[in-house]
This record gives sequence, structure tokens and C-alpha cells, in this order.
Amino acid sequence: MKGPQDSATVARVQVSFRLNGVSFRKRVPVDWTLLRYLREGLGYYGTKCGCEIGDCGACTVLYDGVALNACLILAPQVDGVDIWTIEGVAPQGERGLHPVQQAFVERGAVHCGFCTPGFVMSTIALFLETRNPSRQEIKEALAGNLCRCTGYIQILDAVKTAASRLRDRDLKKFVSRRR
Amino acid sequence: MREASVIAPRSLREALRAVGRKGVVAVAGGTDLLVRLHDVAAGERPSFLVLDGVRTLHSIAPRGKGLALGPLVTFSEIERSSLLRTLAPQLVEAASVAGSVQIRNRATLGGNIANGSPAGDLLPPLYVLSARLELSYSGGRRQVMIEDFFKGPGETVLRRNELITRVVFERSQNRGFFLRLAVRRALAISKVSVAANVSLRNGRVQSVRIALGAVAPTVLRASRTEEYLLGRELDRDSIETACGLASGEAAPIDDIRSEADYRREMVGVLLGRGLLRIASAR
Repeated sequence: MKGPQDSATVARVQVSFRLNGVSFRKRVPVDWTLLRYLREGLGYYGTKCGCEIGDCGACTVLYDGVALNACLILAPQVDGVDIWTIEGVAPQGERGLHPVQQAFVERGAVHCGFCTPGFVMSTIALFLETRNPSRQEIKEALAGNLCRCTGYIQILDAVKTAASRLRDRDLKKFVSRRR
Repeated sequence: MREASVIAPRSLREALRAVGRKGVVAVAGGTDLLVRLHDVAAGERPSFLVLDGVRTLHSIAPRGKGLALGPLVTFSEIERSSLLRTLAPQLVEAASVAGSVQIRNRATLGGNIANGSPAGDLLPPLYVLSARLELSYSGGRRQVMIEDFFKGPGETVLRRNELITRVVFERSQNRGFFLRLAVRRALAISKVSVAANVSLRNGRVQSVRIALGAVAPTVLRASRTEEYLLGRELDRDSIETACGLASGEAAPIDDIRSEADYRREMVGVLLGRGLLRIASAR
């Protein structure tokens, strides 16, 4: 939701949540979406703001281990929730990318890159359910993400490539403790 | 300018106390609500009654000979429920084709009902399952049949101080389907949808309920079509006649998603596909 509202004067509510494995306790604006709070409240700009009505999937995040549109959740609704955004995907303290990100790069699945964080999060959510998805399962899992550059073939190939390389430890941290 | 706030009750009692307050809007999944509020200016926004924390509203449980679903059951939970897959196949089919993974993980049964759209994908299945809604308020509750709940697009009999607290339907061992058409498979509102619940005995239709979505101000029962099919065998002729009748019962309009003529025509096509599927599954 847009609005000229000054973030200093807006009503807030206290919530506790985990973001990319780190515990937060914050006072969040009562009528901001999670998307706006991630970007404007916490400075996590990796989660992209596309349509803001749940159509494009650019703001997809993991919410207790499943894919959700951050534009369709209120910031106060993250209380007690385990959230992962694109910033938390690459292994910490190491060089290099997560195998899903690496596969996107190698397969030419990234052109302008705007949709990529959302696709990566949806792909990880898919792998949390099934490690060897069929092409049809991949299409269904990614149907909520739009790309206007590559034309999807490269993206489907990237997911297939990632699946062939994935090890258990590449997914471990994303498994929600609440599920 | 009213100060917006957020209320996050942990019990139904607390939720019911809050729901009638001025300027308060209940949020289930929020996938329709937040889209509608997208352009609402600061200061004009309601206070949100966030229901996530009320555990009792999330359950899928047998009740008597039937099933009772909490309103906060998500489309994804419906999609995965093996109990529902056997007992309410139409509902499962509808829940698995609506929206996208992201939307289905968040959108709820109760939200789809309260939103009151004639294109709501879970509604035709609920009509053919003869679902009953339990509406609760502080100090009491009442029951309303799903068909009596809707008054028009976005308009329902739910009062300001009430919440939908249960969706109840009888176990059905019948054959059923839900089919829809939309501009693309994912993330598109139905142009037209058809659900049915059919039981056959000795090859003849023993009972049948058919509901049509997105072709009238509310979901519509195709009662003349049902009457025609009763006692008949499902063969090419009877199915063709039923399709024609159902097309005639639809009362669609032209809008941004489709045209009245196309919708009317497609009611018959979808019903035909579904009935043929049932006929050939014997």
C-alpha cells in the first residue's frame, strides 16, 4: 500500500520474527505490508516491488518455509514467523552463490534481473517440497512469477540444473522450525 | 483522521469482541483485501483484526457424519488434505487451480466466502456440497446455508459484528468435478466455472447438484438442468441436452474478463466435459 505517511508518526506494533536466520524484535507500522517494511523499514531492497497486488511474484519470500507474496501480508503478521529473503540465500561467510543462484547465472535465466529474487525464492520453496520436480511441477510452482525478458525456458532449465546439484545442506537453513 | 491500529486476538472470544468495532476490518489471508486497499490513502485505512492467532479457526475435522472446516484453512491445505480429496473432490480441484502457489499458501476458505465474488473458485463446490456456514457473534451464533449467504457481488448477509467460524458439509461419496476457464491457467479470475456433485445408481443419475460461477450476480444452481438429469443415464444425448439447458440457465454479463455470449456457451462446454468424465469413469 502506498501512502504519503511519515514513518515517524505512524502507529506501530511490536513483533518478533526471524529474518534470514537472525532474530528481530521491532516495532512495525500497523498498516504497512511486509514488502514495504522489508524495503523501507529494514533496507532489504533485494525483495523487489513489482505490481503490489500479488500478480508478478517479484516480492516472493519464504514465510515459515512456503512461498508468499510479501505485498499481500501486513507487517504485523510476521509475529513469530521465520522469513527468508534473497539476501539470506547465498551461504554466509563463504564466497559464491547458492546452487539455485549459480544455476540461474549459468543457464542465462537472468537478464534484467528484476524478477530473479522472486524466482529464486519460489524455486527454493519448490525444493523444500520435492527435490526432483518434473518440468510440469516446476511450471506450476513458478506460475506465480512473471519474467518479461528470458521467456521462461532458461528459467526452467536453471531449476532443472539446480535440482541435479542440490545437496541436503543447501536447503537445511530454510526449513522452518515451526513446521 | 482516524488512527489505524492492529488487533491480533489469540482466542475466538477476543476476536468476536473486536469485530463489531467501528473502523475494524477482519483479515483472513488478505489476498483480496490488501489488493482492494492498495490505493486507499493513509488515514482512510481501517484497523485490521488479524485472525491468524486464533488456532481454532484453522482446523479440518470430521463432525458427525460430515466435515467441519475452519475459515482460516488455506487453499494449499485444502489441496493437500487426503480427507477432502476423497470426500469433497470438487473443493480440492477448485483449491488447486486458483491463484498461484504464493496466493494458495495464504488465501483462505473463509476469505473466499466473505469476499462474496460470484467468481470465487471455492463457491460453486460449496454449493454442490450443500455447505452450511456457522456465523458467530459475541454471545451467540447462527447457521446459514451457503445459497442464502450471498446477496450480490461482494454483498453477503454477514453482519458487521459476525465472523464465519465454521464451514460444514456432509460427507459425499459422490462423483464430482470443478472446471473453469480463465485467460491463463494461473493467477486469473475465472470467466466461467462449473461444479457438480453426482451420484449414479445402476447407471442412472440418482442425485445431482450443479452450480455455475461467474455467470450471474451470485453463484447459481442450475436447477432445471438438475431436474432434467435425475433418473437418466449419462449418455451423449442426455449430456448434450443438459449442456443446452445449463447454458440457458446462466445469466452472464459482458465485462473486462469475458462476454456474456461466450460465457453462456462455455457453461455448456464445461458441464459437458465434466459429465463425460463422470460417465466414462464408470
